[in-house]
Amino acid sequence: MEKEGNETCCAPKTADDPTGRKWTWEEDGFTVVRANARTAPGCHDNCGVLMYVKDGKIDHVEGDPEDPYNQGRLCLRCLTLPDMMYHEDRQLYPMKRAKEERGNPDAWERITWDEAFDLIETKIKALQAEYGKECVDIAAGTGRDVIIYETLLQRVLGTPNQGMGFFPGQACYIPRSFSTNLKSGALYEGDYSQFFPDRYDNPKWKRPDYVLIWGNNPVVANSDGTLGHWIVECMKRGTKLITIDPKLTWVAAHSEYWLQVRPGTDAALALAFGHVIVEEDLYDHEFVDNWTYGFNEYKEAVKEWTPERAAEIADVDVDLVYAAARAIGNAEGWALQWGVAMDQTSEGFYTGMAAYDLVGITGMFDHPGGMVAGIAPFNIGFPWIPSKEEVDWIPQDPAMRPPVSKPELRGLNAMGMPDAESVVEGMEGDAGSNDYTIKCVWFFATNPLANEGAQPKRTYEAIIEGTEFNVVMDTWMTPTALACADVFLPVATYAERSGISGHQPYRTGAIVKAVEPAGEARSDQSILVELGKRFCGEEIFPFDGPEDLYDYMMKRSGACFTYEDMKKRSWAYPEVDYFRYKTGGLRPDGEQGFLTPTGLYEFYSVALEAMECPAIASYVEPPASPVSTPELFEEYPLILTTGARNWGYFHSEGRQIPHLRRVQPEPICRIHPDDAKKYGIEDGEWMIIENYRGSCKQRAEVTPRIKKGVVSCDHGWWFPERDQHDGTYFGTFECNPNNMLSYKPGSVGLGNSYKSDLCRVCKA
Amino acid sequence: MRDALLINYEYCTGCHTCEVACQKYHDLEPDQFGIKLSQIGPDQIGQRRWQYEFVPIPTDRCDRCVSRTAKGKLPMCVQHCQAGCIQLGSVVEMASKIVSDKYVLFS
Ligand code: SF4
Ligand code: SF4
Ligand code: SF4
Repeated sequence: MEKEGNETCCAPKTADDPTGRKWTWEEDGFTVVRANARTAPGCHDNCGVLMYVKDGKIDHVEGDPEDPYNQGRLCLRCLTLPDMMYHEDRQLYPMKRAKEERGNPDAWERITWDEAFDLIETKIKALQAEYGKECVDIAAGTGRDVIIYETLLQRVLGTPNQGMGFFPGQACYIPRSFSTNLKSGALYEGDYSQFFPDRYDNPKWKRPDYVLIWGNNPVVANSDGTLGHWIVECMKRGTKLITIDPKLTWVAAHSEYWLQVRPGTDAALALAFGHVIVEEDLYDHEFVDNWTYGFNEYKEAVKEWTPERAAEIADVDVDLVYAAARAIGNAEGWALQWGVAMDQTSEGFYTGMAAYDLVGITGMFDHPGGMVAGIAPFNIGFPWIPSKEEVDWIPQDPAMRPPVSKPELRGLNAMGMPDAESVVEGMEGDAGSNDYTIKCVWFFATNPLANEGAQPKRTYEAIIEGTEFNVVMDTWMTPTALACADVFLPVATYAERSGISGHQPYRTGAIVKAVEPAGEARSDQSILVELGKRFCGEEIFPFDGPEDLYDYMMKRSGACFTYEDMKKRSWAYPEVDYFRYKTGGLRPDGEQGFLTPTGLYEFYSVALEAMECPAIASYVEPPASPVSTPELFEEYPLILTTGARNWGYFHSEGRQIPHLRRVQPEPICRIHPDDAKKYGIEDGEWMIIENYRGSCKQRAEVTPRIKKGVVSCDHGWWFPERDQHDGTYFGTFECNPNNMLSYKPGSVGLGNSYKSDLCRVCKA
Repeated sequence: MRDALLINYEYCTGCHTCEVACQKYHDLEPDQFGIKLSQIGPDQIGQRRWQYEFVPIPTDRCDRCVSRTAKGKLPMCVQHCQAGCIQLGSVVEMASKIVSDKYVLFS
């Protein structure tokens, strides 16, 4: 195959002018390197950073005042980057350990990268020859951009099994991204001006009248390429907030309307909002009449969802339901700022659909101050969602089995992702009808025993008993690595590697190597290139290094950029216009409309009907709740919600960094003062939270911020300061609320109940 | 008189960035602060009104980032404040910027 550069291209038209923009300079005895931030350490954003280098090390990092993305600001995680890079516990060398020694911190043997690759190649090829290529499961974390290379790793290893590590229902944006794609042919993001390099000053942009913040704490979470404080900038310009959250967050306290919802009942509220907007004729007739499909079915579906009924189910004041619905119905522009609480209800897939239909009836697509289609900038999809062209040069065996799953999980199966519990069963030797055998797990920037995996002890035992060979790629010796790894590969931070950034669909840019990696750490991408050579051959993987790979993929996507171009300009914004469904900008064929089977926004999804799944939004009670299981509720009288985001941490990361740990030293479970009194819990005490699956221990924060009757547990905790020999894997099983959660996904295989189960509490 | 810090705490989200930005630049330990957050509430002051707010307070360790301002740069906390709600300038200039409720001026 050919692999020359993209020199025949002309420079693409960009909305920003890079004239005079430098990527490196000298300042006060430092070499400054301008770049985009990225994983590691993990994040969903790529703020513009200036890295100050002295003597081959990063001395400090500052925000780039010229970068439109973050306008000079950095949060505490990037500000402490050098502390993470040069921490004494950071893993710097490839290591191996005998399978029998899993969990033993003294059994590691330092090896060279060549030895590590030889071992991986020999072991995985032998296992795949014996058990089939599908015996490898790739478990990925959510740090961008590295998560994206998991798709390439999946092709390189030739296994169909890849997804979020042991996360039932793939319940992290994936249910929503699938349903929004089915219904509108793209993902849409709230319009906080981030699509324009001149940001809030852009004359085409209008601030949203309202931002409807649903199951999200945007200023803390910064999820999915949205810097939450963009919303604060919109507030300064007159935007009002509506927040739906069982907890009084800062945004909730600053909202015009705050609906303190019972966890898991969000879809009932969304359908009631739709009811009000339809009944009171506040919907966008022009849009609905010309650009949508299935409105009559939608109208029928919301008819029974009176605000009174929804308010009772969701336990909120009915006048708030009317008021919030009228506010968005009357808004000139409003944005839906939704979070994983959407996905993390048992029927999260349909909850997302119900909320998204509100965007549909108000015609907020590609609307100023509404929602804007997240289309890959310059067609460069791979740092975000790789296009077919960008990955299909790595051949796939046409006879490859489908991922391990269950036949009834039709939505998940249509997406081509494995079912988390089926992966575990595949290790336990009981994959039911699929007759699957999983013998190897590749942990790709993920720590599922501490973080997203359900029932971590069961998962742990299945891995220890069932697998022959596991690889962990990480920067730290995590609980997962200590417990499960046979080979540990130390990865580079963003300051130590190159990359193309742009998970968020507004712009793209460069991750730039400012210093050599500490120790022998290597970038995820360079590891991937070497694996490609070994598993697919030089013919397919002729690249000299990651930059070569990026250039090749950008060439295949038709983008007229090379990595060097991108490095020199640091960022590039495509020209974005509103109302692209009217101008043909949403479809490759240039036709008007949406990229859906009908070419319209689909309230009723034709594709879902074809999959024999319910094709329209609905509400279903959580599987365990005061309403669906009243007897269980008598025994476990509190609603358990998990996974609240905390300042300074990205999921299970950051506990080693003193300046971050100071902000929150221990795992917290929030409980209402009335409940605390009832169960004899004092503020700041250790508390046991337990249910019919398991228990965990966290510090009680007695606070009126949390809804009465609900407790909210932190996720992702472990104590890196603990002795690795104490047999507790840094104490992660003791404090992990996932002990109480289920592996069962929603009915179509997407979504789970992480935000709405039942529990009881007592003093520890 | 030294320059004053003006905080528009209507928009301070309590993100702790100012604290850490200052600590890292001035080599302060995690328990030493050039600026420190304080919290108001959560206090329910009406049927649907809550006060849950934060105000960062500069300490005697704050040197107004003279080494940065001398070079024409913004102070660390001012530049990195996630909400863009801290400014530095003369007391008179800062006072003139108090255009609505919920500003506080630290001289
Ligand atoms: S949000 Fe924070 S951690 Fe993420 S890139 Fe921006 S500054 Fe870095
Ligand atoms: S002005 Fe400088 S020294 Fe003062 S609080 Fe801000 S960052 Fe710290
Ligand atoms: S950085 Fe700004 S928003 Fe964050 S806590 Fe400090 S003053 Fe408040």
